Amino acid sequence: MAVQLSDEHRMIQAMVREFATRELLPIAADLDQHSRFPREAVERAAELGLMGMTVPEDYGGAGMEPLAYVVAQEELARACAGFQTIVTVNNSLVCEPILRWGSEAQKQRYLPELASGRKLGCYCLTEPSSGSDAMSLRTTAVLRDGEWRLSGTKIFVTNGAEADLCLVYARSEPEAGARGLSAFLVEKPFPGASVGKIEKKLGIRCSSTTEIVLDDCRVPEGNLLGERGQGGRIALATLDGGRIGIAAQALGIARACLEETAAYVQQRQQFGRPIGEFQAVRWALADMATRLEAARLLTYRAAALRGQGLPCTGEAAMAKLFASETAMWAAHKAVQLFGGYGYTQDYPVERYFRDAKITEIYEGTSEIQRLVISRHLLARS
Amino acid sequence: MDVVVCLKQVVDPELPVRDFAVDPGTQRQVREGRPLVISTYDENALEVALQLKDASGAKVKVLTLGPAAAVSEAIRLALAMGADEAIVVDDPRAPELSGAEKACTLAAAIRRIGSADLILTGCESADWAERVVAPLLAEDLGAACVTFVSRVEAGDGAPVVRRLVEDGYHLVEVRLPAVLSVTSDESNRPRLPKVKDIMAAKRKPVQTWSPADLTRSSARDPGAGVEVRGVVVPERTSRCEFLTGEPAEQVTALAQRLRDQKLL
Repeated sequence: MAVQLSDEHRMIQAMVREFATRELLPIAADLDQHSRFPREAVERAAELGLMGMTVPEDYGGAGMEPLAYVVAQEELARACAGFQTIVTVNNSLVCEPILRWGSEAQKQRYLPELASGRKLGCYCLTEPSSGSDAMSLRTTAVLRDGEWRLSGTKIFVTNGAEADLCLVYARSEPEAGARGLSAFLVEKPFPGASVGKIEKKLGIRCSSTTEIVLDDCRVPEGNLLGERGQGGRIALATLDGGRIGIAAQALGIARACLEETAAYVQQRQQFGRPIGEFQAVRWALADMATRLEAARLLTYRAAALRGQGLPCTGEAAMAKLFASETAMWAAHKAVQLFGGYGYTQDYPVERYFRDAKITEIYEGTSEIQRLVISRHLLARS
Repeated sequence: MDVVVCLKQVVDPELPVRDFAVDPGTQRQVREGRPLVISTYDENALEVALQLKDASGAKVKVLTLGPAAAVSEAIRLALAMGADEAIVVDDPRAPELSGAEKACTLAAAIRRIGSADLILTGCESADWAERVVAPLLAEDLGAACVTFVSRVEAGDGAPVVRRLVEDGYHLVEVRLPAVLSVTSDESNRPRLPKVKDIMAAKRKPVQTWSPADLTRSSARDPGAGVEVRGVVVPERTSRCEFLTGEPAEQVTALAQRLRDQKLL
C-alpha cells in the first residue's frame, strides 16, 4: 500500500514545521527544565487549527484526515515532544471519541470549545490497580435521580492539571470487564471532580500528568458518551487513533535524534577528523535513518487506513510499537555518539532520550502492542 | 482598496551551498530538483497587503510570472495566507528574463487586471536582487513609487507609508495608484496559514494568462540595456595567520590587521 503526501499535506507540514521552529524550539529546553505548561504556544496552535485537526469545520475544527494529522504531529514532536503530547491527547483521545460517539448536543457543546483551544481535554482511563489491564477498572458510576454519581481515582492523566473536560471511564453495569463500562464527559467544575497528585516525570515534562479524583462526582445524565455499557468499546477504539498519534510523536523524536546527530558528527573532531568520517558512526546514522523511514511508512499506512474508515487496530499497534522502539533506539544512539556532551543539558539529545521512553509505555506498552498484533495474526489464521 | 502583490518564486535561499549551481548554458541558477519558495521580501509585501485586508477590507490579488507548473506552490501558499485570488502569467522563459523584462510584463498584466490602487513588490528578489522591478513598474504604469516600505496605514485619506532609511524612517503620504517596494521589519513578519485556510486555498480563483494575452508598453524596449555575460559562484577561501611576539605586540598587530581589512 503506497501512501503519498498530497500538496495540502506538504503545505501543512511546512506550516507546522515553521510554527514549531519559531515558537517551540526556542523554549523547549526551558519548558522541560521547569516543567512549565506552554499556554501561549497552545493558544497559538489552536489559532492555526492544530487543536482540532480532524474535527469537521462545522464544529469549528480544521476538517483534516488522519494522515495530515500524523504529518503535523511529527513536526510538533520534532521540536518539543511534551508539547505534542498536550496536542495529541486533545485531538485523538478527546475530540475523536466525542466526534464518533457523541450526541449532536455533545458535539455542539464541546467540539468548538476544544478545537478552538478555549477548552482543553484529558483522558481518564488508567487507575492505580488497572494499567495494561484497563478493562478491570474500579471507578463506579451510579445513576441516581437523573444524575450519574462517579467515584474513584484516575491516575497518569495527561493534561490533568489544565484540562477543562475529562473523558472518564467508569463501571456502570454489573457485568465484569469491558461490557460493564461507560464513558462520561465530566467538566472540571462538576461538584466532586478535582485534581490530585501531580506527577514528577522523567520526560515530556511540560505536559502535566496528574490524578483526577472523583468523589461522588455529579454528572448530568446527558453527559454519558455513547450508550450505557459501551465504554470499553469506546476506550479501545479511541486508542487506535491515539496510538497513531504516539507513533507520530515517536517519529518526531527519532528525527530530532537523527538530525542533531548528523549535524554533530560533521563538526565534532577526534583523531584529526570529523567523527562522521568513521565508518562505525556512519553506519549508526544509516541505521537511524532506515529505521525512521520504516517507522514513518508504518505510521502513514495506519493513518491512511483510518482515514478510509478501514480497520486499523493491528496496523496502529505495529506503527506505535515500531516507531516508539525506534525513537528509544535512536535516542540511545544519539547520546552515545555525542559522548559525554550527550549526557549534559548543553545538548538536546539527553531530553530526547528522556522523552522517547514514554512512547514505549503510554497508550499501551510495547508488550500490549505485541499482544494486540499477535491477536490479530491469530484471529486471521 | 484593491491591492496587487507581485510574487516571485525562487530557489530556497536557505538551501545548503553545496546545492547551489549555475547552468553554464543559460547563466542562470539551476532550479530543477531544488525546493522553490516565495522570495523573502515578497512574503513581507504579501503580509503588508493582508494587514490592509484585515484592517480595512482591502481586496488582495497576487500576481506571478510563470512557468505555471513551477509557481503553483507559491500561489497556493499565498492564497492560504489570505490572498483573495491569483493571476499567473504563464511564461516558461520567466526564470531567464531580466528584471526590466519582468517589470514590463507585470505592468501589462496589472493594466489588464484594471483596478489596482496599490501594487506591492519585495524590495529585492532573493536570487538576483536587482531592485528594479518596483521603480520600472511605477514608470510603466505612471504610478507613484516608494521604495523600502515597511508599513502602510490606510485611513480615509491618502495612505501613509513608512519608508525605512538609515537611522530611522520617513513617513510618506502617497497618491494612488502607487507602487511600493517592501522591506522587512518586525511588523510584517509573514503569517502562517491556518490548516483550514490551506484546505480552502484550492477553492479560490486562479487565472492563468499567456504573455501573448498582454499588451506591453511600447514606450521602451525592456530587453535593452543589460546583458548578463556570466555568473560565477564566489570561491571562499580562508587563511589562518598566527601572530607572534609579546601579548602587547600581538594586540597591536591584530588591531592593524583589522584596520587593514576595514573591520575597525
